[in-house]
Amino acid sequence: MKNLKRILCLALCLMLTLACLPAMAAGSVKIGVLVADATGAEALAFRAYYEKYIAKAYDVEFIYSEELKTADGEKDAIDNFIVNNCKAVISFSSVDRPAQIEQCETAGIYYAVATGTLTDEEYEDFKNYEHYVGAIGPSLNTEFQVGYNMAAYYIDQGMTKFGMFGGAVPYRTDMHIYRAAGMLCAMVDKGGEGAAYQGVNKPDDIIGMIYGTGTIETGKIGNLELLAYVGGYDFDDAWFGKLAQMAGTEGIEAILTVGSGVDVLGSFVAGSSVKLATVDSFTPAMGEAMNSGIIDYVAGKFATSIGPIFIATLNAVNGQPIRNEEGCALALDQGYWVATNAEQFAQYYAVDSSEENPAYSKDILDAYAPAGVSYEDFAAFVAQYSFEEITALKK
Amino acid sequence: MEPVLSVRGMDKTFGATIALRQVDIDVYPGEIRGLIGENGSGKSTLTSIIAGIQKADAGEVTFHGKPWQPASMIDALEHGIGMIVQETGTIPGITVAENLFLGETSRFHNKLGLVSRKAMEQEARKALDVIHADHIRPDIVTAMLDLQERKLVEVAKVMVKKPEILVVDETTTALSQKGRELLYQLMNNLKKEGRAVIFISHDLDEIKQVCDTLTVLRDGKIITHFSKENYDDDAIKASMIGREMQGDYYRADNEPTWQEKVLLKAEHLTGSDLKDISLEIRAGEILGIGGLSECGMHTLGKALFGSAMLTGGTVTVEGKHYSDPQMATRLGVGYVSKERDTESLCQQASIRDNIAIGGLQHIQKKKLILKKRETAYVQKQVDVLSIKCRHMEQPVSAMSGGNKQKVVFGKWLGAGSRILILDCPTRGVDIGVKQSMYQLIAKMKNEGKAILIISEEMTELIGMCDRLLVMKDGAVQKEFLRGNMNEADIIRYMI
Amino acid sequence: MGKQTWKERIPAFASILGLMVLIAAYYIVGAIRDANVAYGLKAIVNQSVVVALVATGAVFIYTLGSFDISLGAATGVSALLGAMAYNATGNLLVMFLVCVGVAVVLGFINSSLASIFNLPIFVTTVAMMSVLSAFMLILIGWNGAGDTIKVKARDVRPLDNIPFKVAILAAYIALCWFVFTLLPTGREAKFTGGNPVCARLSGINEKKLGIIASLISAVGIGLGAFVTIIYAPTLTKDTASSIGMDVIIAIVFGGMPVSGGPRSRILSAVVGAFSMGFMTQIMSMLNLGSGYGQMIKAAIFLLVVFIALGSQRGKLLTR
Repeated sequence: MKNLKRILCLALCLMLTLACLPAMAAGSVKIGVLVADATGAEALAFRAYYEKYIAKAYDVEFIYSEELKTADGEKDAIDNFIVNNCKAVISFSSVDRPAQIEQCETAGIYYAVATGTLTDEEYEDFKNYEHYVGAIGPSLNTEFQVGYNMAAYYIDQGMTKFGMFGGAVPYRTDMHIYRAAGMLCAMVDKGGEGAAYQGVNKPDDIIGMIYGTGTIETGKIGNLELLAYVGGYDFDDAWFGKLAQMAGTEGIEAILTVGSGVDVLGSFVAGSSVKLATVDSFTPAMGEAMNSGIIDYVAGKFATSIGPIFIATLNAVNGQPIRNEEGCALALDQGYWVATNAEQFAQYYAVDSSEENPAYSKDILDAYAPAGVSYEDFAAFVAQYSFEEITALKK
Repeated sequence: MEPVLSVRGMDKTFGATIALRQVDIDVYPGEIRGLIGENGSGKSTLTSIIAGIQKADAGEVTFHGKPWQPASMIDALEHGIGMIVQETGTIPGITVAENLFLGETSRFHNKLGLVSRKAMEQEARKALDVIHADHIRPDIVTAMLDLQERKLVEVAKVMVKKPEILVVDETTTALSQKGRELLYQLMNNLKKEGRAVIFISHDLDEIKQVCDTLTVLRDGKIITHFSKENYDDDAIKASMIGREMQGDYYRADNEPTWQEKVLLKAEHLTGSDLKDISLEIRAGEILGIGGLSECGMHTLGKALFGSAMLTGGTVTVEGKHYSDPQMATRLGVGYVSKERDTESLCQQASIRDNIAIGGLQHIQKKKLILKKRETAYVQKQVDVLSIKCRHMEQPVSAMSGGNKQKVVFGKWLGAGSRILILDCPTRGVDIGVKQSMYQLIAKMKNEGKAILIISEEMTELIGMCDRLLVMKDGAVQKEFLRGNMNEADIIRYMI
Repeated sequence: MGKQTWKERIPAFASILGLMVLIAAYYIVGAIRDANVAYGLKAIVNQSVVVALVATGAVFIYTLGSFDISLGAATGVSALLGAMAYNATGNLLVMFLVCVGVAVVLGFINSSLASIFNLPIFVTTVAMMSVLSAFMLILIGWNGAGDTIKVKARDVRPLDNIPFKVAILAAYIALCWFVFTLLPTGREAKFTGGNPVCARLSGINEKKLGIIASLISAVGIGLGAFVTIIYAPTLTKDTASSIGMDVIIAIVFGGMPVSGGPRSRILSAVVGAFSMGFMTQIMSMLNLGSGYGQMIKAAIFLLVVFIALGSQRGKLLTR
């Protein structure tokens, strides 16, 4: 027994010592990364880009948080980053962004928002904070447009009967509400004379109505028809039943989803003629769904989309933050790549996931976002986010 | 005749405690060898080494002339020596059949590789029938059995392997007369088959009745051996304790005495195994309750303490009615359960905690428990009762049976209980400690306490009680007064 | 009569020794990794104080040999209602009283249900956990402002400091220590946890004890809820969700058996909570990645339990 305890203690000491050794060699810039999802395909794709490409290309060390679901979790994680002498935090977690920004400002470390934005009110509060780098991500207008373009794609093909999955609409999540509103507005715009959703036809009114009710009503929108709607993420039998019922609704031609389309509806539409469209990300699982015909339309976040916010953060750490004329932080819009067939998806995915030459490679980032780049030049660079535009930049 | 088992020069220590020193002993085929000694004499240590539970520090053991070094108790049983332990040896949450074949369920795998319960229960039935325990169902969960039945399951578990040497370690304390008879029968059968039995008990009468030879241990050494022809109670007791027993074993007086004041009164108690029982206990009186194990007397003890389910009747202390143990203790009633280890003691707790818990109200000063007062309170009981221990933080689980019982006594004495209900108070206790307990009970009587002794040992009841109520089938059959208690008469009313 | 040898005393101090080892390891690893150890201490206090508060109160329940699986949900509901009370009144004292009051009411309901229906406390807490988790969703829904309930950060910022939190923790620990060590309640609870049958037959009222334990635990939950709001004033349905498991780990890490009984120690909770805090910081400084970090934590946890239980593995003695 005594010997066993001695062996265990020695093993523990050895383990800790060995674990220390590689770290002793590290002298890189440390950047903390806050994540709300640590295991999803999208999260893993983002992480792979940072750890397998960016970290090597720029000699930075990324320290990832655990999966965060609460504001105190975010605060703890940032504290851990500070203890580890991180120079900056890139955040994918949005439980309490204002608190994150305040905490980083107090600690004197830079803070950036990836794949998201602040609300207008929040931006006004924080735009002049010395350590707030900014946000690059889809604005609410972009989210609206994503939904609009998705619905329009199918309406233009002559489809008239739709189903809709509202995701986090019942929880009043802005992103999903705007995407859903975009879809409804496309139907209103293309539904013919007098088309309206529940008597209203202006985007603001439709958005307001969705916020108010927390749901989407089925019915005719001009000569188009919304036959079925399911919202929320209950993940219980009743909820799955509703999804199955929607997929099996007679006459339904396409189901438009604000997100998680494959996960929640893939199995129900497989083998049927119902088209499924989603807002998601470029991952292997999405590629398989495309190949098998389960999904027809993907407006996806591409993993390397977080390249520009990284370079902006690194510039700030190196003493060259990108500010506009008024000294305000970044607030730049960045949208999605849209693939409507398997070949297109594969082409986009290959570029996005490359470990040698991803979409936002070092060459591109250094060429278009060098230290000292102006706000306007950087904004123009970020605005060219589509696959074609990035490909052109690479040339 | 060659011995089947030989021990030479066995030593065993536990830290500073020398458990065995240079023990030599031979066991012969067809012999029932009794091992007797005070608590701490080394009996269980010696047999547990023989049975493979632990290893000796030095010495040689041979079995059939070959070195005997079993890796474990299971290994020992597989190779011919089985032991029925003193403590609980069954797992309560599984069935009787599963307990019997614990670790051997692969024997009952069917074609799908699953355990065939039917086959296992059939074999279990056969094993139980061998020991004539036909009333025990193999499919029943062991926790539903009483202490005696669980002990019989352990017996069956060992007997199914047909050991050449059977070690019985104070098993009979858990058994009724019927259960004991059963065990004696088994032991005799083994003897007739030329096998050997090593029997440990504190009951001198039992051991003299059953054993061919008797070996006395004291302080880890073999003192002497007695053969059946030479059994002498006084000589045996003297060799056990190393001195002549001083004073009376039981009470010195032969007349019933008590004070006028009735302290506890029970009226028309009726329950599952109680039929309209009424009794009174006066101050300075020792009232005995005797009978067969299932006569209801143990339930009566619980009922008088307020912890049995009753369908009718009342219990009062000086006119104050109570129906639960909390009220009983507040009224000055103390209860020593027959099942000491599970009901009277918290095994993981220290001597301090076990004694202090009964008298927290005495230890408090302005509602606070002060360590100094608590220490003094506990120390007093340790001194008065001569509890053998290294220090009062020692967990009671590490103590001998007799010392544990003293701790239980200490709890109630310290609490100042005026009425003590003692259910089998000297069960599993060696004679030296028994004598001191009897003297203590006599002293408490003289102090004016009311004492109820429930016991299956007739000699104890006759030796100690002012009055004796004999129960049968849940009812009181007869009352005897001290001086007119006759074993034959008492038995007549018991059966 | 003799006294306990130092070897016999070791198990009681093993957890404190373990904490000291972790503190030493923290400084060593911090030096090697050039970490901000001073800031890290502050982070450890922030990350450990809520668990320490809830776990200290929970010791009473665990001591009884029982189990409360609804600690996290109760903390979450108390925090949400406290925050709503603040938003309605603008008064921090009201927020404090609501946090503690709600927790006490929930504790009373738990223990009363157990007492009335003669059920183990654990069973009623399982039901409570589901009910309270659902109630949190309802509260957030009522609030109608997305999926959070917020208190203005600037309003609670003056209280979001280490001395205040340490003061609350110290005061609560002192209270619990007092009740556990100097009042009969603690003794009776330990005895009941060790052998409920013997406890009952020694005159202990285990139902009354269950209610007292629940109420003391509830105060810890209320204080934990209050500190949670101060620390992170944006509350979601997941607020405090991990506390139930963190409390068990803290208590075991602190050297107390989960089965309770006489070896229960009131300080186990705080020692365990801070041990976990130091360990988390060490793993964070080593940046092993969450998978490796969790595995090492688990290995250390098993080692601690193995050593702590080593003294209880039976040795046969003479009889």
